Amino acid sequence: MKARILVVDDDEALAEMIGIVLRNDGFDPVFCADGGQALEIFRSSKPDLVLLDLMLPGIDGIEVCRLIRSESDVPIVMLTAKADTSDVVRGLESGADDYVPKPFKPAELVARVRARLRPGDQKAPETLRIADVTIDVAGHVVSRDSQRISLTPLEFDLLVALARKPWQVFTRELLLEQVWGYRHAADTRLVNVHVQRLRSKIERDPEAPEVVLTVRGVGYKAGS
Amino acid sequence: MVSATKQVPEPADGHPAPAQDSAAPALAPESAPPSSSAAQTALFRARIWGRRARIVNARVVRLVLTGATRLLPAVRYLLRALHRRWRRSLQFRTVLTTLMLAVGSFAVVGAYLSNQIADNLFQERLTQAESETRYNVKQVQDTFDGAQVTDQSSVITLVYDTLNAVEGRGSVIQRRYVFEAMPEQTKPRNRWVESRASDQLTISVIPTDLRKAVQDSGKDQFWASTQFPVGTEDRPGIAVGNKVTFNGTVYELYLIYDLNTAQKTLDEIQNVLLAGAAVLALMIGAIAWYVTRNVVSPVSHAAVVSEKLAAGQLQERMVVKGEDEVARLGASFNHMAASLQEQITQLATLSQMQQRFVSDVSHELRTPLTTVRMAAEVLYDARDEFDPINKRSAELLYHQVERFQSLLADLLEISRFDAGVAMLDAEPTDIVQLIGHVMEGVAPVAAEYGSDVTLNVPAGSIIVEMDDRRIDRILRNLVLNALEHGEGRPVNISVAANDTAVAVAVRDHGIGMTSAEAARVFDRFWRADPARARTTGGSGLGLSIATEDTKLHNGWLQAWGKKGSGSNFCLTLPLRQGETITRSPLQLEPADVGLGGGAGKQMMLLLDRDVAVPGPAAAGPNATAGLDRTEEQP
Repeated sequence: MKARILVVDDDEALAEMIGIVLRNDGFDPVFCADGGQALEIFRSSKPDLVLLDLMLPGIDGIEVCRLIRSESDVPIVMLTAKADTSDVVRGLESGADDYVPKPFKPAELVARVRARLRPGDQKAPETLRIADVTIDVAGHVVSRDSQRISLTPLEFDLLVALARKPWQVFTRELLLEQVWGYRHAADTRLVNVHVQRLRSKIERDPEAPEVVLTVRGVGYKAGS
Repeated sequence: MVSATKQVPEPADGHPAPAQDSAAPALAPESAPPSSSAAQTALFRARIWGRRARIVNARVVRLVLTGATRLLPAVRYLLRALHRRWRRSLQFRTVLTTLMLAVGSFAVVGAYLSNQIADNLFQERLTQAESETRYNVKQVQDTFDGAQVTDQSSVITLVYDTLNAVEGRGSVIQRRYVFEAMPEQTKPRNRWVESRASDQLTISVIPTDLRKAVQDSGKDQFWASTQFPVGTEDRPGIAVGNKVTFNGTVYELYLIYDLNTAQKTLDEIQNVLLAGAAVLALMIGAIAWYVTRNVVSPVSHAAVVSEKLAAGQLQERMVVKGEDEVARLGASFNHMAASLQEQITQLATLSQMQQRFVSDVSHELRTPLTTVRMAAEVLYDARDEFDPINKRSAELLYHQVERFQSLLADLLEISRFDAGVAMLDAEPTDIVQLIGHVMEGVAPVAAEYGSDVTLNVPAGSIIVEMDDRRIDRILRNLVLNALEHGEGRPVNISVAANDTAVAVAVRDHGIGMTSAEAARVFDRFWRADPARARTTGGSGLGLSIATEDTKLHNGWLQAWGKKGSGSNFCLTLPLRQGETITRSPLQLEPADVGLGGGAGKQMMLLLDRDVAVPGPAAAGPNATAGLDRTEEQP
């Protein structure tokens, strides 16, 4: 089955070009040129992934991202023209899983899309624990005191990666490789922002984390 | 009539000191003849006393010395504080100067006044004394002339009564006398009366000059200042002398007038003058302090305000009161501050607009460029299906779009630095690991050039507070540059750290460059050889961006080169942000140069903090001026 991808971009030429590349690689693109209609089209087309331009007429890309995230866990990859820290971080904080800075290569775009669409491999029945948090890997459920905590697939993958090897300290680069699928080091801000988002959901006190610990100068590890 | 001598009264101090002997107890006067045991005892005592005296002496000296050493720093500190105050406070200086000038002029005026008053008092008393003397001498002479010389006792009584009458009536002695027979008289002398004087007086209180004048003259009157004892004190006085004849014998008669009351009056006047001068000086000091405070306080207020302005508090203004010069100063100062604020705000707005513009251009250019690039790549991927002309066109299009894209990216990055919006996103990161990633990343390029990239590192990890994205960009750029100019010879990366800094040196053994070229290598769009084919398509901005990135970290980026020996780029970063680098852990000029080195595997010497060469690098990066270019942020 072809994965359906919603491309939200106001630049028609770019949207068409992205469509050509995606179709060439076996995806089924759906287009939306206006932020105001993005949510509507998202609901009607039920895409497997959203490619979202940050600067949009109507509603801002970041706002669209927040709206989509509020009702769905579907992977969102931002297309950014600005590589400035503030914009990227704002986009990631509003719920995007990854970003591709313009100008990008077709192969790069496709790789990012594929990485996000990659089905959870080897989802054997498996239960992991970090601190007082229980992770049911196959059921995609995270709970504390039998209370369910809702995570996006990316946050879930991040938590599982840490939980599988609680003895190991993960560098940001290693997490980028394992969770995001980057083969070479990319922007480690991705990791920072998502660890913060993850902490805000699963930690009792995000200021004093117990589940995802920071190892100064190295990276992160699972709490015990 | 005219005074022959005049002596200003002086305090007596020429008295013989009778108490001198007690201080020297060495030999007691009674230890002369009697028994040898008594002499021995005395000697023994003398020795003991001598020793005690020495001990006491030593103690006193020590006490004085310690006191001096204790006090000296305090005194010095006080002097230094005063000196500092003098230098730094206009008010203090003005008040002190005014005080000193006032005291000086008071001293002059006071001295003149008291001198004048003393003179007048003395003259008045002298005139009185002279006329009184004349009268009294005449009286005495008249009495003597009319006297019947019968027997000794009546003569003595007569002379005494006459002379006592001179002292004046009543309980207060108006004047004193000294009555002395003239020496060396040839006439038959009256031996019954030789000399006589008031209580406590002798002929010695009369100055010899005066006696001589009286003796040598006929019947003239002379005067002189003198001192005479009354009770236990010496008093200043005027002695007026003349001759009287009694029964053929010539006598000198001196009348002595007391100046004590005049002296007391003078003392009182001087005290009043002194007190007045002190009070006046204090008042003048206070007035000077008040006046200068009024003038200086707006100035120091202005200084405080301008310091605040300089510190960036642009809304700071001076308080303006009244319409005087100070108020005008305040008003013009405020005017200046206002226009300054306006200009700075305008500049800030301009900078914001520039920033906005750069950001907009960035977005507007990037979107179509993305489309072009993707299209070019699609065409490029399908180039094998094209005829040769179209195929070559697709290839050219693809490569040039790549180049255009990297040029644009670099331009935008530089303009972001120029707009001052580049932010440092520093956190503790392992620089050794980062170098590993860079080496992985450039491996394909290295393979293309046929160069080995080697790494010398002292420790497994060195944690540095840095923006890894920027440091990665710098190092990648340096390594790619080294590969590009390395002519296929090995490229060495060396890392070293000391307590405050870490250094990464990238060394190639390629064509190298002259020191003049090394100095220009960080300039924008600068190329060592303009005629050189731009095969590798760098934008010419890579090292400029690296420089800016280094500046953001408060680090140093230095270049060294020698024609034919390759070049060395050294990046030095502080281990913790906010610290300053005092010296780089690595030497900029490689140690292998001049050792007959061409390409060598282990040419780069590793210097850790213990063996670091205290050469130019230790003396500061500027010591090798001409060879390097220092990039450092104050």
